[in-house]
Amino acid sequence: MNPNLETFKYDNRIVRAFAIATVIWGLVGFSAGLLIACQLFWPELNLNLQFTTFGRLRPLHTNAVIFAFVGNGMFMGIYYSLQRLCKARMFSDTLSWVNFWGWQAIIVSAAVTLPLGLTSSKEYAELEWPIDIAIAVIWVVFAINLFGTIFKRREKHLYVAVWFYIATAITVAMLHIVNSLAVPAGWFKSYSLYAGVQDALVQWWYAHNAVAFFLTTSYLGLMYYFLPKAANRPVFSYRLSIIHFWALIFIYIWAGPHHLLYTALPDWAQSLGMAFSIMLIAPSWGGMLNGLLTMRGAWDKVREEPMLKFMVVAVTAYGMATLEGPMLSIKSVNALSHYTDWTIAHVHTGALGWNGFLTFSVLYWLYPRLYNTKLYSVKLANWHFWLGLLGMMFYVIPMYWSGITQGLMWKQFTSEGFMQYPNFLETVLQLIPMYKLRAIGGTFYILGACLMAYNLYKTAKAGVFVPEVEVQAPALKTEVAAHDGNDPWHHRWIESKPLVMTGFALIAVLIGGLVEFIPMWIIKENVPTIAAVKPYTPLEVLGRDIYIREGCVGCHSQMIRPFRSETERYGEYSKAGEFVFDHPFLWGSKRTGPDLHRIGGKYPDAWHYNHMDEPQLTSPGSIMPRYPWLLTQKLETNSLPARIGALRKIGVPYPGGFEATAQTNLQAQAAKIVENLKQGAITNAPPDREIIALIAYLQRLGTDIKATNAPPVKTAAN
Amino acid sequence: MIKNVLSDIGGIGLYGVISICLFFAVFTGALFLSLRMKQSVADHINSLPLEDGEPVQKGVSHE
Repeated sequence: MNPNLETFKYDNRIVRAFAIATVIWGLVGFSAGLLIACQLFWPELNLNLQFTTFGRLRPLHTNAVIFAFVGNGMFMGIYYSLQRLCKARMFSDTLSWVNFWGWQAIIVSAAVTLPLGLTSSKEYAELEWPIDIAIAVIWVVFAINLFGTIFKRREKHLYVAVWFYIATAITVAMLHIVNSLAVPAGWFKSYSLYAGVQDALVQWWYAHNAVAFFLTTSYLGLMYYFLPKAANRPVFSYRLSIIHFWALIFIYIWAGPHHLLYTALPDWAQSLGMAFSIMLIAPSWGGMLNGLLTMRGAWDKVREEPMLKFMVVAVTAYGMATLEGPMLSIKSVNALSHYTDWTIAHVHTGALGWNGFLTFSVLYWLYPRLYNTKLYSVKLANWHFWLGLLGMMFYVIPMYWSGITQGLMWKQFTSEGFMQYPNFLETVLQLIPMYKLRAIGGTFYILGACLMAYNLYKTAKAGVFVPEVEVQAPALKTEVAAHDGNDPWHHRWIESKPLVMTGFALIAVLIGGLVEFIPMWIIKENVPTIAAVKPYTPLEVLGRDIYIREGCVGCHSQMIRPFRSETERYGEYSKAGEFVFDHPFLWGSKRTGPDLHRIGGKYPDAWHYNHMDEPQLTSPGSIMPRYPWLLTQKLETNSLPARIGALRKIGVPYPGGFEATAQTNLQAQAAKIVENLKQGAITNAPPDREIIALIAYLQRLGTDIKATNAPPVKTAAN
Repeated sequence: MIKNVLSDIGGIGLYGVISICLFFAVFTGALFLSLRMKQSVADHINSLPLEDGEPVQKGVSHE
């Protein structure tokens, strides 16, 4: 008997807790998605409540799916596989449970604050600063537990799945901290440290790599562990997995600017983003092929094992999404696809196919093992598979149709050179049948997930939970075991040194970000200033914050691209210098409604008043919900000094003592808007309502560069 | 030829060259490391998920 043999226990309790949370939050996140999908053809579905509008629930859906469903799924898979790959129990049970309950508390706080309109508006990073700090703390707890387990492991070599977990832990921490830097203006309000173009670059560096390192690398780790387990054969090529890992984490980090093609971001940054996005095909497909080829000789098992069915579709969806992503990053393709439902189709191939199906696969594999029994019903699991697949098809295909239709309609000119569809709404109404089909797809997908929840519940009831699994493994030798284990020119040497591996991975992910950020911050020509662009007035600041609170950015962009089809429709294209006081930037990523960057001065104040009260009055057929509460809710002005002070701290040049006169300035501008409303037959509008601030902000948008013709309110602003 | 290709991507100057060099270096580095690996070592690490020390549980197969 080996004298070094040690007996220890794997902890299944924490895995079960994350598994249950995954199923529950999955159903919540999918249902929120279905609700907002239905609101796009049935706007009254918000029940005339401000807490349930599309603008406020859309971030709730994305956060629930990404951080609650996939987040818990990721922890479930990591806590199960890491112990077994390291042949060690988790470093600390206490940290495991702090990780679990802390993460659930963060999710609940998101579910409360987002419908309340407490949001930073930065996509997939909407949560306000106290929750951001909590996320950072819990993530550090997870990282300590991860590295602690790795350090006390009994297996010398770190399997490829563990490298992906390491990359996830360090990169998500870096992304979250850098993107969330903000100056608070109260407990539930903050302003991004960055403005305009720089904020956009940081945000999309974050958001793109949240996809890369939260939704992709962690799940690739799960694929590399659970697929060989289910197929009962080793991964196709270990060498390929080395190339896959290093190339993927190195290249991914550069690709963020592909979300900002044809915007005011400097051209060199856009080109870098495009070039690296195309390169990404190589490592992504390397990983997909490594996964699918692991199935060689085991394809017959797919017939019998529902888990493998889900896994194979998940890996295929990963391949499809990672081919489509680079294609959409080509500027000429992006010119058509950007701001349309094509992007929605793309991300749902990844979310429903890759993340969703891989999570289902792992759940079906884990539950029988956690409860030492058979899966309750293979037939139900097969029903889930086909409902899920059909749901995905009904989701994705109509969204492609919708995206391409609308993109082409936006760009269509008549033979005389006029816009074929000058009314934006005309292009939206074409899409309604597609939105209805999408909702059918979502319903199928949720029905499938409900079947899974029932199946797993019955499996748990039929078996007996195994809280701990006792195993034996020899202790890790401290001396050098093999000749090449000490040779730095072998990858095996890196694998046996977790700190070295972490250091190299950190360098790999830092390079791309630094090459893009440093020139953007230090070379002035990247954001040419425009003398006529001035800070927002106090009333406009509050109006802008209402725009952020209501999630208007979820449907309206503020970025006119330099295409004739856009300048004809919206006006002068957007310039980098126009956004230097925009903390945060509000360029948006989807046009369910028209771009608003040049909305200022386009309509009279009364038009906006009526439009917010009942959009269908001014725009018959509009799918925008009503915002009647803006007309009745009193504008909160007590926080104005704190807001101005916070903005000054991050570089907005409000003069010293401006807080003292801000209230007077605000009232003067509000009185002027009330006067304007009277001219539009609205005689009963009080000056202290939220709608007045929102009108002030909307009327200011995009007008600075026409400063010579600017209305008096803007000079008051200065 | 490389110069022509890069000059077609407007305004990136030196960044294109740096990016291509870094990309090439990382890919070849990873390739170099993976090719130097002994097959026996690769086989051992590859089999780690299948030998995690857990006893095979009875009755979990769906067959």
